[in-house]
Amino acid sequence: MIKATRIATHRGKPVTFTFQGQTVTAFLGETLATALLAARVPAFGVTRDGAPRLPFCNMGTCFDCAVTVDGQRLVRACLTDVRADLCVIRHEAT
Amino acid sequence: MTDVAIVGAGPAGMAAAVAVADAGFSVLVVDEQARAGGQIFRRPPAEWGQRHGRYKPYTWAKDLIERFEDHPGIQTAFRSTAFGVLRDRTNGMGLQLAIHTPEGGRLVPARRLLIATGAHDMPVAFPGWTLPGVMTAGAVQSLLKSQKLLMGQRLVLAGSHPILLILAEQLLDAGAEIAEIALARGLPKMTEMIAAVPAIPGHVALFADAARALGKIVARGVPLSHKTIIDGVEGDAAVTGVRLAKVDDDWARTGAVRGVQADLLVIGYGFNPSTELARQAGCKMRWEPALSGWIVAHDAAFETSAEGVFVAGEPTGVAGAERSWAEGQMAGLSIAASLGAVFAPAQRRQLDRILARAHRFSRVMQAMFEPKREALADLSCPKEVIICRCELVTSGRLEVVLAQNPFISSANAVKLECRSGMGPCQGRYCEGTVAARIAKTRNATIKESGFFYANFPIKPTVLQAFCDLAEETNGLLAGAALSSMAHSQPVAFIKPARNFGNQGIVEPPSVTDRLMK
Repeated sequence: MIKATRIATHRGKPVTFTFQGQTVTAFLGETLATALLAARVPAFGVTRDGAPRLPFCNMGTCFDCAVTVDGQRLVRACLTDVRADLCVIRHEAT
Repeated sequence: MTDVAIVGAGPAGMAAAVAVADAGFSVLVVDEQARAGGQIFRRPPAEWGQRHGRYKPYTWAKDLIERFEDHPGIQTAFRSTAFGVLRDRTNGMGLQLAIHTPEGGRLVPARRLLIATGAHDMPVAFPGWTLPGVMTAGAVQSLLKSQKLLMGQRLVLAGSHPILLILAEQLLDAGAEIAEIALARGLPKMTEMIAAVPAIPGHVALFADAARALGKIVARGVPLSHKTIIDGVEGDAAVTGVRLAKVDDDWARTGAVRGVQADLLVIGYGFNPSTELARQAGCKMRWEPALSGWIVAHDAAFETSAEGVFVAGEPTGVAGAERSWAEGQMAGLSIAASLGAVFAPAQRRQLDRILARAHRFSRVMQAMFEPKREALADLSCPKEVIICRCELVTSGRLEVVLAQNPFISSANAVKLECRSGMGPCQGRYCEGTVAARIAKTRNATIKESGFFYANFPIKPTVLQAFCDLAEETNGLLAGAALSSMAHSQPVAFIKPARNFGNQGIVEPPSVTDRLMK
């Protein structure tokens, strides 16, 4: 786990969504990547070897932040803004 | 039909959009981020209440962003991915840009296209680089700047690019503990500093910024080591430590390995231009190692070898925001001129001067900070190192492929043989390593290994987006074979067919054909 810390600043309204069935609180204006990193999840996705992955580039090019959002696979968390009630699960590579 | 479609809302894209719109043409700018600015000017989201971020030392940034955002003639599509360039050959130049917006797929017919897609951090493969806890400098910086998220508890920064010093200062200001900054090179030599002097006028601020950052780093007692490179990282599920080793002037290992405890390793060895859209569109590429590798060839008017397709900013060679801004203005004027606008020679001359100055500066920076690609690729040599992050192709597998196929000497052939470069990132994170490892094995140059072809779609795209395009064009896309062995020939856009059947679909060349090319 990497320690990721929100720096005090004026953020948007708090919203909740789920990741792997667990409730995560985030703030509007945050990306899913920020919300999940701040929640200190150990992996956004798992390779077919079972290895955990976290965001690497945070600019939409590496796809290591890919998650499944409301059933849609391979969604880049770093380019997705949080919304209330999203259902997010880990990307499981096949 | 829009007059001009621009991909990328960074300094080049914004400057070009303003120039084109000022000349009275319609323009649509597409960008994956939520706001304009590009990676260099990432800022917090609009709903957090601040219009601007910190753009130091680029004094022109605020004005450019405001002119861009307030211009009534500029349309934008943010959080949107441009995933390919198509040609409707039944209709003149027939340029069409396929984009995926939050509302779905869209085909944008445009009279001209500008590719201003910027750059991304240069990946470096070493033992453990796929572990959680290894991130690029751009990732850590953008999370800090635009999301106010501080990554890591105890950080090691390793690289060779001056951005690492500026990032270190920002991290210290945010309260980070930096265990060590490991620079692969020595500090610039006196001769290099003297050579830089003619380039300084107008750019003192950037040098001053890096120097001030260095001062703060030293004052805060952060260990700063020179001629030191990554050996690998420790940890099973996440990084627990970083191994560093001493190197010589060519970044070849000279000393013993030592460990540093850390939970985050930040790498910053430079940048790669993002050129996949240009490759797919059929633009000729050129190898320019000092400009960060494969760049998009263009003429003095910034038009590429693909008719109607222009390029500006980092895809012409990574040279920084100042030059991207200048190029964007020039490309914007050129595009407007190609659509019939007339400009005063004085305006053109003034831009030429800006461009020349930015060019001089960036050449000095490039010479000072060009990464040693061969040495970096050597970090990937241990057999267990993953070279292709997506398809999990290891260094050992690559060695076997090269040993068993003595005729394979190009990056594309390796890709076809072992899938390195076929995953979701489409080779952005393994191309350089694969090319350098082929060169080393075959005793050839990195240039001779070539680059990966980019095919439509250039990024993984949901099928629904394709269906949206088809609907929009009344089934026009049905026959879009979308074959784009594009660096050698224009993108094929096949004549309308009625459905998604096989008729009209051009078979892509066989593997053998590709290898023969």
